[in-house]
Amino acid sequence: MIHFLYFDPGLGALILQAIAAAIAGVVLFSKNLMFKIKSFLGLVKQDDDVFDDINVKDSDIESNASSDDKQ
Amino acid sequence: MTTNNRHSSSFRDPSGYIFQDQGVIKRAILPLYFKQYEALNASGLFQKLQSAGLLIPHEEVANSNSEIIIQPEQLSFMTYPYEWSFMQYKEAALLTLKIQKFAVEHGFSLKDASAFNVTFHKGRMLFIDTLSFDFYEEGQPWRAYKQFIMHFFGPLLLAKYTGADALKLMSTYLDGIPVDMLAAMLPFKTKLNPFLYTNIHLLAKFENKYSEDYDNTSKVRKLSKRAMLNMIEGLYDYIKKMKLENASEWGNYYDKTNYEDAAFKKKSDIINTWIKNLNVKTLIDVGGNDGTFVRKIDTTLEEALVCDIDNNAVDANYVQLRRSKETNMLPFMLDVLNPSAAIGFNNKERDAFLTRISSYAPDMTMALAVIHHMSLSGNIPFEMSAEFFASFSKHLIIEFPKRNDSWVQRLLNTKGEFKAHFDFYSISNFETAYAQYFDTIEILEIEGSERVMYLLKTKDD
Repeated sequence: MIHFLYFDPGLGALILQAIAAAIAGVVLFSKNLMFKIKSFLGLVKQDDDVFDDINVKDSDIESNASSDDKQ
Repeated sequence: MTTNNRHSSSFRDPSGYIFQDQGVIKRAILPLYFKQYEALNASGLFQKLQSAGLLIPHEEVANSNSEIIIQPEQLSFMTYPYEWSFMQYKEAALLTLKIQKFAVEHGFSLKDASAFNVTFHKGRMLFIDTLSFDFYEEGQPWRAYKQFIMHFFGPLLLAKYTGADALKLMSTYLDGIPVDMLAAMLPFKTKLNPFLYTNIHLLAKFENKYSEDYDNTSKVRKLSKRAMLNMIEGLYDYIKKMKLENASEWGNYYDKTNYEDAAFKKKSDIINTWIKNLNVKTLIDVGGNDGTFVRKIDTTLEEALVCDIDNNAVDANYVQLRRSKETNMLPFMLDVLNPSAAIGFNNKERDAFLTRISSYAPDMTMALAVIHHMSLSGNIPFEMSAEFFASFSKHLIIEFPKRNDSWVQRLLNTKGEFKAHFDFYSISNFETAYAQYFDTIEILEIEGSERVMYLLKTKDD
């Protein structure tokens, strides 16, 4: 752990994260619940076509890796 | 051995530094970071992030007990956070969160979350600070959380509520916008949203409350991995949905101007012929809107830098290039009357726009429908705009709208009783001034309009 040398993370910011994470947990939970209700009712809108979701998909890694090999 | 060429922006992180070796950018890794570097290689994290196109690719070129040298893929033209449009800024923020989540799942964590760790490269935002990763210890909060708020979330929120120009604050606050200032600048309604209240207002309160507490860190509670990932995902979801509150939809700009279809076609044909004849590979379009004219060029360009002062135009360009997966278009924000300056320590951390564009030296500069704005709104004399355009590329395509052009008339009418002071705006004065810096290759009128196209070449000294 070398980042202690680097910059001040802010003590308040470190303490706050427990609260921020709890709020985010509630928001995510209700979002997932709403998503389930909406998909049950067939109201799910098409996803954003500019930004994808947070997860790095295996297919992203593999497809690019194999196309690199061909070069 | 190479510290003499250390890049003047590379001093914050003691893990290593960037330097230039015969024109090639390389990165030295110091023994302090060897353990992390080996682990990152062994875990495959570097390789995975690079294959997914999220982290800049590199190869190791030297390895000794005192230093490891890696050579990253070279960047053609560096843009800084204060030159990104709102959508580009969003992508940079999302990229940082995406990498943090992936890293945590693989036993690492970003030790910093600076917006300067990211730049636009080959059609997308790319993480360029290879040494930003450290070991993740279960239970540790994210040390870069506050920096993420100051560099990414805060500026994006200010832009959302006050307009995209707020992103330019990053040229003053290189370490991010102070949280108490963020809290004070955001509208009251942000306090009513629990998510914004905790991440901004409560953060500002906590930072204030604990700022005098220098030695007692025992109050920091453990944060489970699940909780940290919730926090990251919560930020990701919120940012992904963010829109500017006062953004007008980017309609078709060219419908609003006084172009007949035929004149529009004629103009793009002229550009096409000139670009082809000169075998242009790289260009900059100053005031290039959403990239319309660059996309009409039918020879293949290696890269086109397209800048504009209007966030809506740059956003529209960005959305289009993302959708069609173009990799040779590099859009960014530029106010030609006030291009980004050299800033930071010694005024050397972030290069001025003119320094970067001069070393990039595009084959061609295009300035379409720009000169009347520079001359009549910005009061820039022809001699000075000519000197500017002559300073970074060999060739210039410039469009001159004559006095009878409706846009010119509109600009002149805003001058009221001082209209006579702008009598200098004439085609003959324009030609005389530009002749001091350029030789004329060709002049063509755009039929059906009050506009003239010039192909110019800088004088050889």
